[in-house]
Amino acid sequence: MLDVGRHPNIELLAYSEVENLEGQAGDFKVFVRKKARYVEENKCTGCGACDEKCPTMVPDAFNEGLGTRRAVYAYFAQGIPSTRTIDPDHCRQLNGKKCGICAKVCQAEAINFDQKDQIVELNVGAVILAAGYDVFDPSLIPEYRYREIPNVVTAIEFERLLSASGPTGGHVDRPSDLAVKADIEPLEKKIKKSSRALEKFEKKYDQTSQEFYNTFTSGEFNDDDDRKKWADKYTDHLSIVQILEGLKEKAKTFGPAKRLAFIQCVGSRDFRFYPFCSGYCCMHSIKEAIIANEHEPETTSTIFGMDIRAVGKGFEEYKIRGGKTSGITYVRGRVAEITEGPEHNPVVIYEDTRERKVDSQDFDLVILATACAPPKGMVELSKILGIALDDYGFVKTSALSPVDTTVPGIFVCGCAESPMDVPESVAQASSAAERAAEIVFQPDFEKGKAIA
Amino acid sequence: MNKDVLIIGGGIAGIQASLDLADMGVRVHLVENLPSIGGKMAQLDKTFPTNDCAI
Repeated sequence: MLDVGRHPNIELLAYSEVENLEGQAGDFKVFVRKKARYVEENKCTGCGACDEKCPTMVPDAFNEGLGTRRAVYAYFAQGIPSTRTIDPDHCRQLNGKKCGICAKVCQAEAINFDQKDQIVELNVGAVILAAGYDVFDPSLIPEYRYREIPNVVTAIEFERLLSASGPTGGHVDRPSDLAVKADIEPLEKKIKKSSRALEKFEKKYDQTSQEFYNTFTSGEFNDDDDRKKWADKYTDHLSIVQILEGLKEKAKTFGPAKRLAFIQCVGSRDFRFYPFCSGYCCMHSIKEAIIANEHEPETTSTIFGMDIRAVGKGFEEYKIRGGKTSGITYVRGRVAEITEGPEHNPVVIYEDTRERKVDSQDFDLVILATACAPPKGMVELSKILGIALDDYGFVKTSALSPVDTTVPGIFVCGCAESPMDVPESVAQASSAAERAAEIVFQPDFEKGKAIA
Repeated sequence: MNKDVLIIGGGIAGIQASLDLADMGVRVHLVENLPSIGGKMAQLDKTFPTNDCAI
């Protein structure tokens, strides 16, 4: 990533979208919309003073909504470019309220609330489409109750829980526990505020709130409005304290999730959605189970799948190693349903086809190995580029020209073409780069490509 | 004949294609929808089968 940012031959247009494309291979004219960041890219040093002071909290998309970020933000800590961006949907200033704190603290004077979208015109010889994929939305499968049961998460959400730079600092905390912890902080703030208000009364009347309240309840000061306020404040304060104590007591029993279930083929190999295999999810689940076990050695994982497809160099060995040393059990069968048991524990109801029985088991956390779906906006983008998509919304290619789209001069690589893992994406990217180079370096490319 | 190349998407595939072409001396314009490049791979903690750090 860093190399892209500093390579003299690469112009990085982040936070931008392709609006229009005209022309043909060797001579395309492209219009790119550079969306307004409201931060000047050439002035921002990436120091982060603005996002420390921004008062608006927003769910963090990079952490799959498991954490929060500010309305002025870096997409993630090591992001390239490190230029901050202001979220126009949540920024107070951009939504007509009084704020502008970021502009005040920015020493580089990079904040510019008047910035507008810019249209950049480019002339290129070839185009490579590497639009990636979106995670399949498992709430389309009602029996898995994703979003209904808090402790059912997707593989990419679990990835953020495992990550040391994630919202939990690498501790596998359950979302139901995180929700309780998230409630504690605002209550603590409320208590601080009400304590300050009570202190004022205590100073004014030179009496502790409790002493005063005892005399107040015995019937004194009934017609004193100021003291009535004090009494109301005090009862409010006590009730918040009680709620907070309850939550804190509950939070003491929380620990990391140690019994994990991975459910394979969520949306893939499923005739209701994507009938094909997404390819990488079996290995992804095994990897997550191994890493979880490294974090917390008592962690056990059960992987429910029709079969575990460990196809690739070193993959089968990895799967076996996971079973032997990382507490993974492989169960052959599809999960019928997930229900919620006590303590927000998800209960998995499944058929074990080796044992020929239907069984149920409860876990701390269930991870759904979601299918690879085409990215949002792929249909619009394909119309702009004039390329054809396949029946599922991935870019149409042919077996002997796997990186050529239906338009000469436009190539595709990575998951935009079909589901694939990281090494395959990298290999295909180099292949697409080579096909693009053929066009820009060979003036007679139109003669046609020799096919093996 | 135009010698520049446009790459749409700054995930691992787009990054790899950009670097390959840029190293060949081709001028590359890399367009990414989100504020930073990195894509899905940047969200991963580690990669299989070597458990290498993803970023």
